Amino acid sequence: MASVQDPDGKMNDANERDPYNNNSYGTLVDDGYIPVDLPILDVDDFNDRVIRGYEDGSAEKKLPADLAVARSVIPAGTATLRDFSYVAPEIPEYITEECTGCMDCVTLCPDTAILGKVVGEEDWQKRMDQIEDKEARDLFAKQWAEPTKYYAGPKKKTGEGGKFSIIIDPSKCKGCAECVTVCDDDALKMIPKTDEIMNDLKQIHRTFKEFGPSDERFVSDKLLIDMMLKEETHIYVGGAGSCAGCGEGTALRMMCSATGVKYKNEWGIIAATGCNTVYTSTYPYNPYLVPWSNSLFENAPAYAMGLRMRWDQKGWGDKPVWCLGGDGAMFDIGFQSLSRLLASGLNVKVFVLDTQVYSNTGGQASTSTFMGQNTKMSFHGKKIGGKLERRKEIAQIAMMHPRTFVAQTTCAHVNHFYRCVIDALEFDGPALISCFTTCQPEHGVADNMATDQAQLAVDSRAFPLLIYDPRKGDTIRQRLTLQGNPAMKDDWWTNPKTGEVVDFIDFCRSEGRFAKHFDREGSPSDLLELAREERLENWHQLQELAGMLGGGAPKPEKGPAKSEKQASPKPAAAKSVKANGDSLPMGLSVGSKIKYNDGERWIDGVLRSDDPVVLALADNTKIEISRALLRNACDAGIVRSQ
Amino acid sequence: MSQSAAVATCRYSPGKLDDVLEFLKRARGELMELRKVRVWRARVEIYDVNGERFDVLDIGYPDRDVVELLRSIGTSFKPEFIHQPIQRDFKEFKTGRRFPWAEDRIL
Repeated sequence: MASVQDPDGKMNDANERDPYNNNSYGTLVDDGYIPVDLPILDVDDFNDRVIRGYEDGSAEKKLPADLAVARSVIPAGTATLRDFSYVAPEIPEYITEECTGCMDCVTLCPDTAILGKVVGEEDWQKRMDQIEDKEARDLFAKQWAEPTKYYAGPKKKTGEGGKFSIIIDPSKCKGCAECVTVCDDDALKMIPKTDEIMNDLKQIHRTFKEFGPSDERFVSDKLLIDMMLKEETHIYVGGAGSCAGCGEGTALRMMCSATGVKYKNEWGIIAATGCNTVYTSTYPYNPYLVPWSNSLFENAPAYAMGLRMRWDQKGWGDKPVWCLGGDGAMFDIGFQSLSRLLASGLNVKVFVLDTQVYSNTGGQASTSTFMGQNTKMSFHGKKIGGKLERRKEIAQIAMMHPRTFVAQTTCAHVNHFYRCVIDALEFDGPALISCFTTCQPEHGVADNMATDQAQLAVDSRAFPLLIYDPRKGDTIRQRLTLQGNPAMKDDWWTNPKTGEVVDFIDFCRSEGRFAKHFDREGSPSDLLELAREERLENWHQLQELAGMLGGGAPKPEKGPAKSEKQASPKPAAAKSVKANGDSLPMGLSVGSKIKYNDGERWIDGVLRSDDPVVLALADNTKIEISRALLRNACDAGIVRSQ
Repeated sequence: MSQSAAVATCRYSPGKLDDVLEFLKRARGELMELRKVRVWRARVEIYDVNGERFDVLDIGYPDRDVVELLRSIGTSFKPEFIHQPIQRDFKEFKTGRRFPWAEDRIL
């Protein structure tokens, strides 16, 4: 193995190209390289020789053939040594007096380039006093805010407030402006980069990392959005090669944070080939601080099953295994492997980055692609207007596998997202989370639109939120919740600000991938009208599964479709239960006389109790069942009202 | 988003939308990534992510040319409703639609 050519300098230290040492390990506080006990990988050599070659541009001319390339191994977190400070002309500026400490910008940055910290005011002063350079101290002090959430609130309770700061890591920011877009408080704005501004930001970032960790007294475990104030949640470091504003990057960061908050770096990832594997393993850069491996498009779930079994053999049953993939891998090429995993009952968690297109290979249609979408392989031409097939619903398919936790979520719904990940991890069995993410170039939206479009995807029923948790009961309606979707009982949501109904066509209007479906007057094509009906039908199916469409509940009005080509949504099967799913069937109440069929005969009985349900039968037996089972028994004709 | 004076202003004359589009093209660099647009009865305000804005005067939602103006800046709106009067002072829409990579693909 070749040795380090420049033994005097470590890439993790300041150097001529990186005088403030912004490209260094540790996200909120400094850290060292992460060693591995492998004879085939020398982390010091890799980071200080190979990374250096790629950073100073000498790699292709000076680096000899590399064993690490041949073996496809990269140390953990090397992306943190990558400098992106030159890629964008603009960078965010933090306006402390406007900040409320909501953490949206920190959470939704795809590049781990906005970092937050909270420190008790007494400790803050002590740490400030230790900064010897007055200029650096004054510059850094201006970065601290006193939002009510961390300062006035705790001060009233305990007598000490927390100082809060957000800083921009200028070596990782790609200038997408997502943070400015999601900030409702005008606490961030984009400014043109100048040498002076960049120098200040680099200095502030350096001081921030040396300032110590957040004071956990001010970090509430109940507020999931605060989790990124803890160092152990930054499992996905900045420096990945994703596009500016990439929705997938944010999803991966948030998934890693929610896993890291409980398991730190004691877990692993098997990733299916796709965009996610390209930008997280572009040699020699790796943003993950946990073990990660990639094989092929089609076999990530099988690979994850093997890893799970090996880890279980080693007694590592408590370490989670995530299996990542895009819609191409999970809906299409690796679908049978995914189904096998879910049927296996193994404790593997699957995370699907659903961009509705093969993002990396050039934008081909997948089975997740929306009807009418313009992609390669479903090109919008004179005769065929984009994809004609309906979209496959991976969540519904996964729900039909035995005892599988399933969720659909987006990064725009932060609490829902974190809840899904945490619940999936706590579930003792297979879980699948499908996450809507933008692919800016393939969807035709601006770099700062990842959160906006994810929100609109939910608001327009393009991608409904759902959680299906087998622990919640025996029936689908007990297990499935659509909480988080707007106007859950209606067909479409009406925007209270404008009074206008928001439907799938509104989602399509906002994205370039559907632009050819609108004529000069803005009228949608017939195919897009069909696509709207298809989305509504999917929504109705979810409503029905969740027990929101029952015999007593009115069938939702159909949308004002222009075309009659599409069959009407099927009316929900009549049920003798109320829409809320909790009431007793057939108008039964405590004391009601019933008949019970034990398979051979009808036995008279009485409903003795309704919580839990107890049926007292004439042959002196008692049957205790859940309300859901009683409902099923009534539906199946096993229990009748006398 | 805080209100401040417009960074630049342009006045629309009926039948001369091209002049407005040319103004937007020339002055575009004065704003950052566009965020939203507010369409008043006789004024269009184009905002960037920082809350800075251009004003286009003497054109509003009743005018036919407003459709082309909004399209030119990637606005997401319903043309069939854009000219309808409303109770509020202005209509607000997000910008941000782009040409996708698929736009120019040929099989």
